[in-house]
This record gives sequence, C-alpha cells and structure tokens, in this order.
Amino acid sequence: MIGLVLFIALIGFTLGRSRLTWPEKFLHDAFGAIQSVLYRPVGAVAEFVRDMGRLSEVYRENEVLRQTVARYAQDQMRYNFIEQENERLKRALEFTERQKRLYRYRYLIAQVIGYSSDPYNRSFRIDLGARDGIREKMAVQTVDGLVGIVSRVSEFTSTVMPLTELDPNSPTGIAVSATVLGKESATFGVVDAYNRETGLFRMSRIDPNDPLEVGDTIITSGLGALFPRGIVIGTVVDKQVGDFGLTLTANIRPASAFDHLTEVFVVVAPDMDQPETEAEAP
Amino acid sequence: MKLRVHRTILAALFLLLIETAVLPWFVPAAMGGRIVPHFPFLVTLFVAVTAGRHTAFFFGLGFGLFQDVVFYGHLIGAYAFGMALAGYLAGLLVGRLRPSAGLYIVLTAFGGFMLDTIVYAIYRLFQVTTVSYLFAIGWQILPTTAVQAALAALFYFPFRRLLTRPAPAASQGSGERSSAD
Repeated sequence: MIGLVLFIALIGFTLGRSRLTWPEKFLHDAFGAIQSVLYRPVGAVAEFVRDMGRLSEVYRENEVLRQTVARYAQDQMRYNFIEQENERLKRALEFTERQKRLYRYRYLIAQVIGYSSDPYNRSFRIDLGARDGIREKMAVQTVDGLVGIVSRVSEFTSTVMPLTELDPNSPTGIAVSATVLGKESATFGVVDAYNRETGLFRMSRIDPNDPLEVGDTIITSGLGALFPRGIVIGTVVDKQVGDFGLTLTANIRPASAFDHLTEVFVVVAPDMDQPETEAEAP
Repeated sequence: MKLRVHRTILAALFLLLIETAVLPWFVPAAMGGRIVPHFPFLVTLFVAVTAGRHTAFFFGLGFGLFQDVVFYGHLIGAYAFGMALAGYLAGLLVGRLRPSAGLYIVLTAFGGFMLDTIVYAIYRLFQVTTVSYLFAIGWQILPTTAVQAALAALFYFPFRRLLTRPAPAASQGSGERSSAD
C-alpha cells in the first residue's frame, strides 16, 4: 500500500518536469555512451543489407537525385540574388541587429544512439548534449522534415520527443504553428495532434477562407517562437470542417519517417534574450 | 537450479542495451512502436521462475526504474511499477512449480500482456495517451506479447545455461527444485 502511494507520488512528481537531476544525467550519459557504440554499426549493416536488396531502385533514385541537383544549382543562383537584395533592403529599412539575427539558424548534426521501447513514449536519444549547446525544446529535423523536439538534456546526450507524441490533451501539450509552402502569408493553422490509428497529423484552427488545398506542403511558420520557420512537416491529405463548424481541420501525412533514423539535425535558433557577444546567464 | 545473481544483472543490462540500440533495426519501419519487447522484463520473469517472487520483485523494480530514468519521456515510474508487480505476481503464481520452458513461455505471454496493460493504464490515468484500450490491445499489446513469447522460447535455454548453476548434488539427479528463498 505504501509502495502504491510512493509510486503515485513519484509519477505525479515527475509528470511534466523538464529539468534533470545529476543522477539522472549520469545514467543518461553512461548508458548513452555504450548505446552509441552499438546503434550506428548495427544500423549501417542493416541498411547495407537492405540496399543490396534493392540495387535497381537505388539506380533509379540516383537518376532522380541528379535531376534534383541540376535544379538545385539553378535555385542556388536565384537564392544568392534574392539574399543579396534582401540584405540590401534590410539595411535600407534600418532593421535592428536583433531583427537581422532572427532567422539565422544553426544546424547541429546529431547521431541517433538508441530508441525507447515504450510504446507511448517513442523517444530516441541523440549524442549531443548541453556541452554542445543543446537546450530543451529545440526543433529536431531530418533531411525530409520535422521529427520532434528535444525533451531532456544531459551533459553529453539528450532525448528527443518525436512529433508522434503530439496530443492536445496531454499535460505537456505542444503545438506547432504551421503554414503552406508558397502561401506563407495567406494560411495559418496549428498542428497539434497525431492520430496513431491513421498515422496522420491533425492541423486545426484553419480559417474557413484559407487557400489551403489537398496536396499542399505544410511547413512550420515560426510564429510560435518554439519552432524555427520553414521546416517541412508533411502534405495535406484532406480537409474538413472542424469541431465547432467555425474553423477547418486538415489531415497531414508526415514527411519524415520516425523509425530507423541515424542522422538528425538540431536547429539552434539565435538566442533572442541577449546580445550575441554577452556571456550566457547562469 | 540456483540463480547467479550478479551474472543475471549483467545480462539484463546487456539485453537492455541490445533492446534499445540494436533491436529497433530489426523491427520493420511500419511496425515501429508496435513491437517493443522488453528484454529486462524477460529476465525478470526468468528470475521469478527460478528464484522466487521476492527476488523477481526487486529485479522488476530496479530495471523498470532504470528503463524509466534512461528514457524519461512523460513520467518516471510506469515501468518500475509494472515490472515489479508483474514479477511479483509471476513468482506468486509459479509458487513451487518446477521451472520448465513451457511454464516460462506461458508466463511471459500473460506477464507481457499484464505489463503492457499496466503501463497503458498508468499513461491513460495521467492522460498522457487517449487511445482506447481496445485499440491499444490490437495496436501494440498483442504484437508485442506474441514476439515476447517467441523470444522467451528462444531465450529460455541460454538463460538456464548461463544464469543458473545446477542445484546441489542431492537434488541434481531427480531434477527437483532447490529451495528458492
């Protein structure tokens, strides 16, 4: 009986906490160090075996990639022009230092070192920690799109909560403000739930007159300040009238896979609270 | 049979590593998060079969807590509670039955089902998840239980060889189980 009471107290106490104490950090790092030795090599072997099985597919994929690179080179040219012009306009309009730094993100490459085997908490661990500048609630993405946010940080490793844990009813409810690629200023919605039964995200609170259409690519809008802007979330599968008939709701197919990840990027947004030169507050 | 406790702890730690760092690669991507066997739990049940309910209780508690802390997601305590309770009940059920592979597999099937149900119930209670129990059964509990039972069949004999030492000479021939407590 006392045990039961203790457990409920423990669970209640640890619910919705985000800082770690030093014993937890120590366990995290010690276990993470060994995990990192195992996860990568096994993954490499598994991927190699899978690739051998679909060599022809790889050949076709190569063709597609070559075309993409060609297009990328053209885009690069355009991008350079636009960036220069943007810089010039910002100078002309006298943007403050702070405003200029707003979208200068840094991307840290992290290796995945292990997966949780808890079906209601599919967290995975990465090999970067507080030492490398990782903080809680940083966005994590793969080359395909957004996968999650950093939920716990210890010195050398950290834990990432995948987006599939999004749940508007959970005590740690996190929502991603989103928009449509190419219609950034005209659409807005909030991706706030993942449906395990269908494998789709739900995007809600969309204006009824919104130009959002089936097949559109959904990206983060950066308006919530939690997630940086411009990370792909997925594509729209369908849209319908929401719960109260006032707004629309859309279902979104995730762009990124959440299993068998090896490399992810942690997006470090510039620290807005203090100038870049100043040392960090304790 | 008598349990080699230190070896068993090491084996459980090693298996936890395998479970979190190697096993995800062998689960097809479509089944990710659906087939999640818990190796330390298999060890806990093996302890319940060979060394009795009290040892199994502490094994479950320890490794459940370890799992909870290392993969601290929503809360700490779900697995510690579930594994300790399941280990204790398994030991209680087995009582003084002679350990055998069949017993171990049946126990794993029921114990695994129970563990996943407890974890689901805790998460549901604290509103971390809102899926219905029926969906949870079909989605995660049944596939995991099936795989876990198969793994139990695979692991029983290596476990018995590596983690126990034969009973003292008096009871060796008859296969009678030595005192557990």
